[in-house]
Amino acid sequence: MVRRVRRSRGFLPAMIVMGLLAVWTAAPGGATEEQTVRVAGSTTVLPVVSKSADRFKVSHKGVTVTVNAGGSGVGVNDVGNGRAQIGMLSRELTREEREQFKNAGLKTHAVGRDAVACVVSSEVYSAGVKTLSKEQIRDIYLGKIGNWKDVGGPDRRIVVIDKETHRGTRHVFMQYVFGDEQARAPGARLVTGSNNEEQTKVAQSDAAIGMLSIAWINPDVVGVGIRDGDRVIQPTLATVRDGSFPISRNLNLVTAGEPRGAVKEFIDFILGPEGQKIVEESGYVAVR
Amino acid sequence: MSPSVDPQANGPERNEGPSSDRGPAYWVCAFFACVAFGAAGILLCYLIGESLPALRSQGWPFLFGKDWFAGEKYGALPMIYGSAMATALALALALPFALGGAVFVSEFLPSRARLIVKSIMELLAGAPGIIYGLLGMSLLAPWIKNAFGLIDGNSLFAAGALLGIMVLPTVMTLSEDALRSVPAEYRENAISLGLTKTEVVFSVAVPQALPGIAGAVFLGLGRAMGETIAVLLVIGGIDRIPSPWYDVFSPGQSIPSKLGREAAESLGYGLHWNALMGLGLVLLLMTMAVAFAGNLFLRRSRP
Repeated sequence: MVRRVRRSRGFLPAMIVMGLLAVWTAAPGGATEEQTVRVAGSTTVLPVVSKSADRFKVSHKGVTVTVNAGGSGVGVNDVGNGRAQIGMLSRELTREEREQFKNAGLKTHAVGRDAVACVVSSEVYSAGVKTLSKEQIRDIYLGKIGNWKDVGGPDRRIVVIDKETHRGTRHVFMQYVFGDEQARAPGARLVTGSNNEEQTKVAQSDAAIGMLSIAWINPDVVGVGIRDGDRVIQPTLATVRDGSFPISRNLNLVTAGEPRGAVKEFIDFILGPEGQKIVEESGYVAVR
Repeated sequence: MSPSVDPQANGPERNEGPSSDRGPAYWVCAFFACVAFGAAGILLCYLIGESLPALRSQGWPFLFGKDWFAGEKYGALPMIYGSAMATALALALALPFALGGAVFVSEFLPSRARLIVKSIMELLAGAPGIIYGLLGMSLLAPWIKNAFGLIDGNSLFAAGALLGIMVLPTVMTLSEDALRSVPAEYRENAISLGLTKTEVVFSVAVPQALPGIAGAVFLGLGRAMGETIAVLLVIGGIDRIPSPWYDVFSPGQSIPSKLGREAAESLGYGLHWNALMGLGLVLLLMTMAVAFAGNLFLRRSRP
């Protein structure tokens, strides 16, 4: 009994100390620091923004730009919740996102154009699968076509690679293939996240199909032509520029409300001549 | 897991007794204890509070539903299955090697070699998960693909095998500690009774060390269950229970890998976030169940 009383008397001061500590740590720190612009989101837009940030920092001393990946959904979420000032978005905002962050007043700023190619492992491409129709891609993602020989390739099972559902690349690709940006892909064998991850998995396999920004296409990861009736449209910068490649999209930056201060300066920099040159260097089409 | 405690080692000041327990040390310790308890309590309350909306809107199908479509339906069963399967595989693959290794090191190796093996094992036990993840991704997954003729190596089996490799040093070195801590008199008595070396090991040392070995196994189990990044890199990332259910060469998803992939996208907002917190709660309860089972087992195997 005595023990219990003693213990409870010790408890109260300890709680007070704890409370004080909590107040102390929660107090705001020094307010005068150099300006930081936090950017997060799509790995498709990321090369443009991080290269721009490097050059922007040279001409704008006192402004720090931090760039994080995560995917388009992460970019929107971070801006909507105030964790970042600029979100990178390789698609348009969805209705749900506009609804969810109504109070933030999200604004998009297109800084470039890109296409999403349907890519296959180089082994498949060189064995004869040079083009695919929308219907064939759909059946592959639905699991109805499971072997490359059914679409003119080698007798090998198809490794269907899907992406995380919030990724911009997936939205654009599924919108084209299924007419629904959130379409499900029961035929999928793997889910990847960033463009780099997807690129690596397709390159590592000898029977993979995936979706990838054209800037990531290389000799191991080949973009197939999209067959539409008799027409075949190759995934190249030229077909993106003239608007004939069917799976193209804007590369967007998203802000909460109209950009101001350093955020506005940085977006203007990317939209300016130097920034647009970086867009072209990164493998995309400039908008200005 | 020190073998034995010498009562003299605590020194004479121990004899003063607990009468002067209100010094500064008391307050400092009380404060730290409060913080520790508080942190654990807040964690649990936060998890429960944040996952309530999802549990309420989904009901039981949250636990038993097979479909997880963000924004629509949240069924956690594929993730729960994936976690359980990968952990079970890890244990099945690691246990024979861990126990065999522990017996060999503790009972048959000369003490010099034993020290070397032990220190290497303890170093490995502390290696970060991402290191194993990188190895799994670059070596293990392609190797599994070729060895079993799969179309792709990223699968539940790859995750289980990788986790098995990860927990092997932990389980082995702790089991070895348990074996070493069996008092020498037991062995000497057994030898003087005319038992052979093998009999001494398997009918005296191992049974005596069983509680400690069980503790080691459950500790490894806990680590395997919570491992995120290594699993995320090789499990395939598909929220699906394979058909048939025991087809471990199919891709899957574990709770930590699901959380790792989707947390940033929904951070702090909406039903999706609540559902992910619900998954976190399920994982916490699973690891707590493992710890509880470990304790129960330990208590029962004591003479």
